[in-house]
Amino acid sequence: MAEARTPQKSIPKVNKVDQPFWEGAAGNKFLLQKCRACDKVQFFPRVACVDCFGALDWIESNGTGNIHSFTLVRVPRNPAFKDEVPIYYINVILDEGVIVESKLVGEKKEKVKLGDKVKVVFEQTHSPEIKLPCFELAE
Amino acid sequence: MRRKRVCLVSYGSTEYSRKSEESVLTHYANAIRQALERAGLHKKEVRGLSITTQASPDFSPHVAEQLGLEVDWVLNGDYGGAGGVMSARRAADAIECGHLDLAVLVGGNSFDKSLPNQRPLEYQRANFVDVYGYGGPNSLMALIQRLHMENYGTTLEQIGKIAVAQRQNALNNPQALFREPMSLEDYLNSRMISDPIRLFDCVMPCSGAECVILASEEKAKKITDKLVYLVTDAEISHYQVANMKPDKTTFGMKVVGDRIFSEMRHEDIDLLEIYDDYPIAVMIQIEDLGFCKKGDGGKFVDAHDLTYKGNFPVNTGGGELSVGQAGLAGGFLHMVEALRQLRGEADGHQVKKAERALVTGIGWLNYGRNLGTTAALVMERRQ
Repeated sequence: MAEARTPQKSIPKVNKVDQPFWEGAAGNKFLLQKCRACDKVQFFPRVACVDCFGALDWIESNGTGNIHSFTLVRVPRNPAFKDEVPIYYINVILDEGVIVESKLVGEKKEKVKLGDKVKVVFEQTHSPEIKLPCFELAE
Repeated sequence: MRRKRVCLVSYGSTEYSRKSEESVLTHYANAIRQALERAGLHKKEVRGLSITTQASPDFSPHVAEQLGLEVDWVLNGDYGGAGGVMSARRAADAIECGHLDLAVLVGGNSFDKSLPNQRPLEYQRANFVDVYGYGGPNSLMALIQRLHMENYGTTLEQIGKIAVAQRQNALNNPQALFREPMSLEDYLNSRMISDPIRLFDCVMPCSGAECVILASEEKAKKITDKLVYLVTDAEISHYQVANMKPDKTTFGMKVVGDRIFSEMRHEDIDLLEIYDDYPIAVMIQIEDLGFCKKGDGGKFVDAHDLTYKGNFPVNTGGGELSVGQAGLAGGFLHMVEALRQLRGEADGHQVKKAERALVTGIGWLNYGRNLGTTAALVMERRQ
C-alpha cells in the first residue's frame, strides 16, 4: 500500500552561484552582491553585474529597509505551508536600494502598512544548514 | 507598417473542460485539425510548427514527429503567456524570409497524470520565493495590485468592472466555461486568495487547445477570401532588469506600446484582446499601451463600456477569466478571438466594426519586478 507522502516545506537547493548567500544567512548575515567595476549593488545572486557585466563581490547588508508591498497568502502554492496561513508575503526595499521578496514575521505583523520600517531576522528551516532571511517590523 | 505580406488565415479551438486527462497532444491535434479544415488545408501543406510546451518531455521536434509533420521550421514558444503573440512574430519572420509559406501555431493544456506534473521552477523563484510559502502568481500579482491601489487610488470596484464586463462578453460564447452572469457584488464578495487578489481575479486552470495558422499573402489568397493581415508587432523581455527598485506597476508593455503606436493611432484600433491572467493586469496594460496616463486606468475603466457592444471592447469572448486558462493556450485565446472577430465569425458576441484588433501577451512573473516577457501585435481585415 502506498502511503500518502507528507508534503515538505520548500527549501533552497543551494548551487554554486548562491552558496555564499546561504552560508551568510546561516551566520545571520544578509549578503548582497556589489560590482567591482561600477559599485552597483544587486539582488538576487547572479554571475555578473546587471549594469556593466563586471565581476562581483559580496557585501553585508545592514538588514534594514521598508515595506514596499505585501499580500496575505491564504492558499500557498506548496500545501506544506498551510500551517502558517495567512503568510505575510512581502517586498522590502533594503537601505542599500534593492528589492527583496520575503515574509514578515513577529507578533506585530498584523499592523503592517506600506513604508513601514523592517529589520531582518533569520528563521531556521527543517534543514540544519539552511536559515531563511525574514523580516519583522522595527521598533 | 513593418509587416506587409503575412496573413492569419485560420484558427481552431477545442472544447474546454475542467480537468480532461486526454494527452495534451490529443488537444493539440483537435485544435490543429479544426484549423486545417476551416481553411481547407491538407496536413502536407504544413511546413512549420510552433508549440508552447509546459511539461517535459515535449520538445518541439518530438511533438512534430508525434503529430506526423515533416517541417522546415519548428519552435517551442516558451514565453509563458506571451507564447501566442511571440510565436506569431517568429513565424511571420520566417515567412517573410521565404523559409516557409505557412505555419501552424498551437498552445494547450491537459491534466494528463502520466506526465510529471512537477515542472522545474525558474531558479530564482525556487530558491528565493517559493521557500517563503508564497501563493504562486496570485501572490506576485497581489503585490502589484496593492501598489496600484495605494499609489493611484484605484478601487476594487474599478478593477472588478473589468471582470464583470468580460463575463458579460462570455455569456454568448459557447467555449466559455463560465456563462452565468456575475455582478460587481459577486466579484467583491468572492473569497480572498492573496489580499487584495480575490477568487474572481483569478483564472481557472482547464484543459483544451487553441490553434492559429499564418501564411504568406500569396498562399493566403489561395486559402481564404477573408484576408486578415499581421500589420505590426513588438516584444520586450526583461524590462527594468538592472533596476533594483523597479516600478512594479509599469510593464514592458509600455515599450511595446510605444513601438506599435509609432506606426498607427490609438483611435484606429477597434477592439482589444488583452492578456488577462488578472483584471489588474488588463488595467495596467491599457495604461502602458497609452490609452490613458499611468495611474488613470481606474478612471478610464469607469468612463468606458468594455463589453463587445461598448465604446472600448476588451476581451470580447470573455478572456481567460471567463473562458478558462488551458495552460499556455491562454496566450493563443486572444489571437484566436481577434481573428474570429475580424472574420465576422463571433456569433453572439460580434463587435459591430471589427477591422483592426490589438492583441497582447504577457508571460511569467519574475523576482521583484513584474512580467518577464511582454508582446503585442495588430491584425487588420482587408477586403
